[in-house]
Amino acid sequence: MSMASKRILKEAERLAKDPVPGITAEPIEGNMRYFSVAMNGPEESPYANGRFKLELYLPEEYPMSPPKVRFLTKMYHPNIDKLGRICLDILKDKWSPALQIRTVLLSIQALLSAPNPDDPLANDVADQWKSDEKRAIQTAIEWTRLYAEPLP
Amino acid sequence: MSDDFSDEYMDDDYEDFEYSDDESAISVGSSSEQGHSSAMAATAASQGQPGALSQSQVQNSADLGYGDDDDFDAGDDVDFVRAIGASRGRKSWEVDFKVCDADSLRAIQTAAIDSIEPVLSVSRESTTLLLRCYAWKEEPLVEDFLADPDRTLAKFGLSSRAAAPCIGSGDNEFTCEICYTSGADEKYLGLACGHRFCIDCYLMYTSGKIREGESWRIRCPAPKCKMLLGEEAARLILSTSKDVLHRYEDNLMRSFVGDIDSLTWCPAPNCQYAVQCLVPRSAMATVISVVRCKCGNAFCFSCKEGDHLPAPCSLVKKWLQKCKDDSETSNWLKANTKECSKCKSTIEKNGGCNHMICRECHFEFCWVCMGPWNEHGQQFYNCNRFNEDSSKNARDALSKSRAQLERYLHYFTRYNNHEQSVKLARKLLATTEKNMELLQRETTLSWIEVQFLSDAVDVLSVCRTTLKWSYVLAYYMLSDNQKTIFENNQSDLEMATEQLNELVENPIGQSSIEDIKRKIIDKSTYVKARWETLLSDTSLGLQENRWQFED
Repeated sequence: MSMASKRILKEAERLAKDPVPGITAEPIEGNMRYFSVAMNGPEESPYANGRFKLELYLPEEYPMSPPKVRFLTKMYHPNIDKLGRICLDILKDKWSPALQIRTVLLSIQALLSAPNPDDPLANDVADQWKSDEKRAIQTAIEWTRLYAEPLP
Repeated sequence: MSDDFSDEYMDDDYEDFEYSDDESAISVGSSSEQGHSSAMAATAASQGQPGALSQSQVQNSADLGYGDDDDFDAGDDVDFVRAIGASRGRKSWEVDFKVCDADSLRAIQTAAIDSIEPVLSVSRESTTLLLRCYAWKEEPLVEDFLADPDRTLAKFGLSSRAAAPCIGSGDNEFTCEICYTSGADEKYLGLACGHRFCIDCYLMYTSGKIREGESWRIRCPAPKCKMLLGEEAARLILSTSKDVLHRYEDNLMRSFVGDIDSLTWCPAPNCQYAVQCLVPRSAMATVISVVRCKCGNAFCFSCKEGDHLPAPCSLVKKWLQKCKDDSETSNWLKANTKECSKCKSTIEKNGGCNHMICRECHFEFCWVCMGPWNEHGQQFYNCNRFNEDSSKNARDALSKSRAQLERYLHYFTRYNNHEQSVKLARKLLATTEKNMELLQRETTLSWIEVQFLSDAVDVLSVCRTTLKWSYVLAYYMLSDNQKTIFENNQSDLEMATEQLNELVENPIGQSSIEDIKRKIIDKSTYVKARWETLLSDTSLGLQENRWQFED
């Protein structure tokens, strides 16, 4: 078995055995490189009480190349654009092959708690975030209510 | 072609020579008639670049010119001095340069490391890495290092007590965090930071980075670890993959040449040489640095276009862009790409945020305003306002360009005409060679004695190339008395060139051969003189800021 597939199996195993609190990541049937992810919005954030869907794909070069991750749920966040793409350094040039699916998902969750409008992906959202943070947070809460799956 | 003609000029004015015993680089240099050559040399030296260090040999020419230039050691390179002594003065449009092969590049690099090693007194590996991190600029490196050696080292994951990288095995506790394989059988490599990964993963990781063009910037694979993978470690990892190792060394050299302002690769396909040119970047706006590689390719050191005397790079670039503007490709490029404001690489943004990092030079900038990213801070949204203004400007420029179209076409037809003629000159050369054979058969002239014909064709090619670019210069020049003088020079050269062209193309045999030979040689000499006049006038004019150019 190639090094990559062995590693992917191990990672999937560990994710199943010792899941990250508030996050589930399951490989879809028949494709061990494609994960269906669900993430709870962090408490004390505008995304609290919502559950967000993501897709995660491990490219051929993984773990030498970063996984491709995208939000499937509509998000109001300065670092996430309307296609769900995420601006996160470890998914780009700060990727290290010693990072894992687990660390990536945790970083994304952290990004929900700490939006960074100074390095924006969605310019209009970031603009709003900087000019009127209160209103932006209101919109994010509204969108969470509208689009995310409510947490019990 | 044009190159041959320049060759002739160079043979007159320059001497090619091996400038030192242990390096095969050829230096083409000469003493200067003007003060600015010395100033350039001093500037290059004060930048503290290795390019400047090794220039001492080349710049001996300057010593001969001024005698009192203490910055450079005339040394005991007697051959060099003799060669220089034999050459005549440099023309005002010519620049000093030297062609470097791989060995001389390595020598320049080694000299740079040697000169700073005693100052830093850390391992040679660390010294080299630090120099690479500082883009081989010694001054800021020494300044930072002397202020706080440990901090400077730590910034790049180095340490004065750094252990050498080593390969090990036999550790039961070892698990490779990349492939999750563990056990005593695993061979691993550890850098000074203490992170260990198995040698197979290291090989895959490093090869991937090297294929992407990386070399010394490769870091330890551990997340957030700043430790740089030095040459020593790379050689350990790649000991079994000679191809990749070769590519790695190539990348290292590429990055070195890219970092040094006074070095550039010859842009000819498959050419292995680099050229060292002493004109400082700041002077490149007014000095057109046309250099000639050992492979025969003549190009502009600054913009890498072919010989474009007398037009300065900025105008050449604008012009070529303009000429291409009708094509779909350039429309697409214009709409979808921008240039890195530092290294001018063309960049397409295919995702991600506005915080761009240039793949070539690693410059960080904002996609909206193209300014450096670190200046943005809290004022990021100034960019939006800037953008609105610039789009308004773009609309204004559009209506203006309509009115200018006619004017443009005037210059373009002439530019294009000369370009076509340069291509036709190649055909002319073939006919000329036939004529030369004919001449030898029908007259008593020897091969040497009929060379005047091919010489004349060479003169034609070079003059047409110069004429071609002179129209670009004229297009952007605002009308005033100075422009009239320039246009007079231009029309003199053009007329003489056309006359010479006619003489050369005319079938031989109508009048006596001696008569024709005399006419062609006379005319060639006259054309050359006009060519020199135009070039020296424009090169001085640009330096004196004699002309006004449109924006």
